[in-house]
Amino acid sequence: MLFDIVLTINDREHRLQVSPDERLVDVLHDRLGLTGTKKGCGSGDCGACTVLLDGSPIVSCLQLAIACQGKPITTIEGLAVDDEHLHPLQEAFIRHGAVQCGFCTPGMILSAKKLLDDVPDPDDAAIRSALAGNLCRCTGYIKIFDAVKSAGQAIRGGS
Amino acid sequence: MHPAALPDEIQILEENPVGVGEYAVIGKSILRDDGYAKVTGKARFSADMAQHNMLIGKILYSSRPHARILKIDPSKAQALPGVEAVITSADAPDTRYGAFIFDRPILARERVRYVGEPVAAVAAISEQVAIEALKLIEVEYQDLPAVFDFQSALPDNAPQIHPQLQAYAAVNPYVRYGNVCMDARISLGDADEAFHQAHLIFENTFTTQPVHQGYLEPHACISAFDHTGRLTVWMETQQLSWDHASLARALNLPMTKIRLIPTYVGGGFGGKLNISIEPICCILTQITGRPVAITLTREEEFFAQHPQAPYKIILKTGVAKDGRIIAQDADILVDAGAYADQAVGIATKSAFSIQGCYSIPNCRARTRVVYTNNVDWGCMRGYGTTQPTFALETQLDMIAKELGMDPAEIRLRNLCQEGDSLISGQSICSVHIRETMEKALATAGYWEKKNALPKNFGIGIANVAKTSGLLASSASIRVNEDATVSIGTGIVDIGTGAHTVFRQIAAEVLGIPIEKISIASQDSDSAPFDIGSQASRTIFNTGNAVRIAAEDVRYQMLELASKTLKCDKEHLMFKNGSWVNFTSGAEIGFEALVGASLYAHQGPLLGHGSYMSTRPLDKPVGEGFYEHAYPTFTFSTQVALVEVDPQTGKIEVREFTSCHDIGKALHPNAVEGQIEGAVLQGIGLAILEEIITQDGVVKNPNLVDYRMPTAMDAIDIKVILIEEPDEKGPFGAKGIGEAPIIGVAPAIANAIFDATGVMVKQLPIHLERLFFAIQERNQ
Repeated sequence: MLFDIVLTINDREHRLQVSPDERLVDVLHDRLGLTGTKKGCGSGDCGACTVLLDGSPIVSCLQLAIACQGKPITTIEGLAVDDEHLHPLQEAFIRHGAVQCGFCTPGMILSAKKLLDDVPDPDDAAIRSALAGNLCRCTGYIKIFDAVKSAGQAIRGGS
Repeated sequence: MHPAALPDEIQILEENPVGVGEYAVIGKSILRDDGYAKVTGKARFSADMAQHNMLIGKILYSSRPHARILKIDPSKAQALPGVEAVITSADAPDTRYGAFIFDRPILARERVRYVGEPVAAVAAISEQVAIEALKLIEVEYQDLPAVFDFQSALPDNAPQIHPQLQAYAAVNPYVRYGNVCMDARISLGDADEAFHQAHLIFENTFTTQPVHQGYLEPHACISAFDHTGRLTVWMETQQLSWDHASLARALNLPMTKIRLIPTYVGGGFGGKLNISIEPICCILTQITGRPVAITLTREEEFFAQHPQAPYKIILKTGVAKDGRIIAQDADILVDAGAYADQAVGIATKSAFSIQGCYSIPNCRARTRVVYTNNVDWGCMRGYGTTQPTFALETQLDMIAKELGMDPAEIRLRNLCQEGDSLISGQSICSVHIRETMEKALATAGYWEKKNALPKNFGIGIANVAKTSGLLASSASIRVNEDATVSIGTGIVDIGTGAHTVFRQIAAEVLGIPIEKISIASQDSDSAPFDIGSQASRTIFNTGNAVRIAAEDVRYQMLELASKTLKCDKEHLMFKNGSWVNFTSGAEIGFEALVGASLYAHQGPLLGHGSYMSTRPLDKPVGEGFYEHAYPTFTFSTQVALVEVDPQTGKIEVREFTSCHDIGKALHPNAVEGQIEGAVLQGIGLAILEEIITQDGVVKNPNLVDYRMPTAMDAIDIKVILIEEPDEKGPFGAKGIGEAPIIGVAPAIANAIFDATGVMVKQLPIHLERLFFAIQERNQ
């Protein structure tokens, strides 16, 4: 049985028919072509499919799409203002070499965004804790921490 | 015209010749070209390449470790609405493929050899239907006796896993018998006599565990017929050219009938070298005529891919009174799992790495690669060097303790010298281990800390010698009409930043802004042959090929400039991207030359570079080895400082110093990234990670029970680079991909030994293992 739902994703409304067991990650990745949301494990262990639901990071592989109505969803595609103006986190990830293979990057950036929204000047422990659910196998995390700190500075400097 | 045959005069014409002086972009951490796509979500990986009218493929795996297949009945699955194809070995060509020994069928034929071997596959309109269909395929097995360890696999009367072993084609004629698919020996000097002379002899058994490479992106591929009707495959790969050949071999098609398009790769680390799901996907497309996608689950990654093989090494070392190592013997056993895959390659590498970075004049090794009914184990970053280095480096600390020497002292006493003989028969070169050791010890504060650490703290050292470079690379440089430049390469940038470095190299040689240079879109038709992103070879090999191709273009430009400016080549010099007649002052720039080449003189500028970094050693080397001589080596010293809780066995790595002889860091940020990432992986391998199997079944196939380091485990690593340009490397560079992971486990094991007096010779040293080791010692 299919249900008509409306999802607000990156400030756009999408009218969809979903089955009640359809996961948000599949709707985003397979049906809406928002392939920046990565599938790394399917069981909430790696964080690659992290998106923001109502501003907070969730693993979209453990989230039913039908339960996301009425709450804004932000994926990595919705983070930059436009092609020319990236979010400070995106800028910082590039500048600090925090990106290697790039598979964890979207989820990592979205988890970090929530952190910086709450705490513009996070200490090391806060950054580690905020990113603890996002695995990265390439970087050793050090340059990711640097990027998050630097983005925080940019955001504070700009406000 | 080949740049290798450049006339002498070009050397003196260059005001800023390659390898000398200040560089425009080499050595600078310029922004990577893939960063923007990856932070915005625009970067697409194989699973993101959905095609119109695409079906979803799923694989049915063997549930038995060793069994005869009596019958497969796909009829119920075929009858399920939405199922477009169900295939078994009857639908696949009767071929075998592999990395060194061609032993693997596309789908199990008559017999299954491990839990996880593909038996059948389905293409259906949705994932749910495909999963339902798998459940409806009926397979009747007759179980055969199975073997899961060396002890049960090696005896003459052990159940034979590959009765056709002798008949398999292989890249070399390996000595094969029973369940052994390679048995080889090699020696240097006179080990027997040297052991006889030894003051002390140490013999220990070391084991290393199966580990997953841990790339975040599960394997995925999509196959389809392109607009010409040709079979096309989007895939993530470290090894485009070889995969192209392997897939053609598996499907029994000429390479011209298959086109591979590499996508972004979500991490490789040795886990994405060979084809695996691609032939199955292609057959589903051939049968249905439709695009088919196969994306593995994380669970499948553990049992149906190629995690690193477990090892057992018996290492015997003889030392003189003064701590000099005079004799060594290594008996190396590698569990290949059900098929050989990379096991033969890593086993060879292991035998040739038993001297580490030390002068050991008398040594011998025997290596056996053993089939079992375990997962089809493979290789990982460190490729067979990691395991013997763990054995040797920890053995050294046990020897030092016995002799009353400091671990640093015994190492300094034995360090290899330029030109020392390796067991392979080649001599070691570009040696900078003394520098890495001195720098690392100084930075780590080793001498001050050594005997002044608080209780339960320990400090440990490990040294590493890692070959750099492997086989062949080629590259092309195409100059476009708007004076931009496209580099053709078969190297897929698996996340290391290699493509950015290739652009730096071309920019430096051509003297044009790096923004004008890009990497050409890649597919197996047009990408020049390359052995791939592996073996610490990408920058060394392909970097050289790109350099040569760019020099080729520059030489063509010199000829063109000479014609255009109507002067002898001898009167021209290359400066800031222009050719200048230094007698008249006349000059012609890059853009003008491009125009001249396209519409007036010789024709379009197309540069070509081929580079072979290794040469084959005698065939065979010793008895039964097949190996190459390597162009250079990367040397490293790692120092770990740990805190151990003896009540629980918990280990905290408090400080880590990682010093590498990199030749020249062409892109320092990317080099650091390699080191920081590899060290944390190494910490995972040392104290956290292990694939647990029971009767061939993986018991922890997920990222909770298989525990990789998280942000909470990350530590600040003191990275030190020694830059002594290597004469053969592009702009002096050596490889750095693998060296930083190799010494991590032994440095940590040695630090634990320093803290507790207990040496754990089995990886990983997780808390339970250390706890019991301490308990045992205390009794």
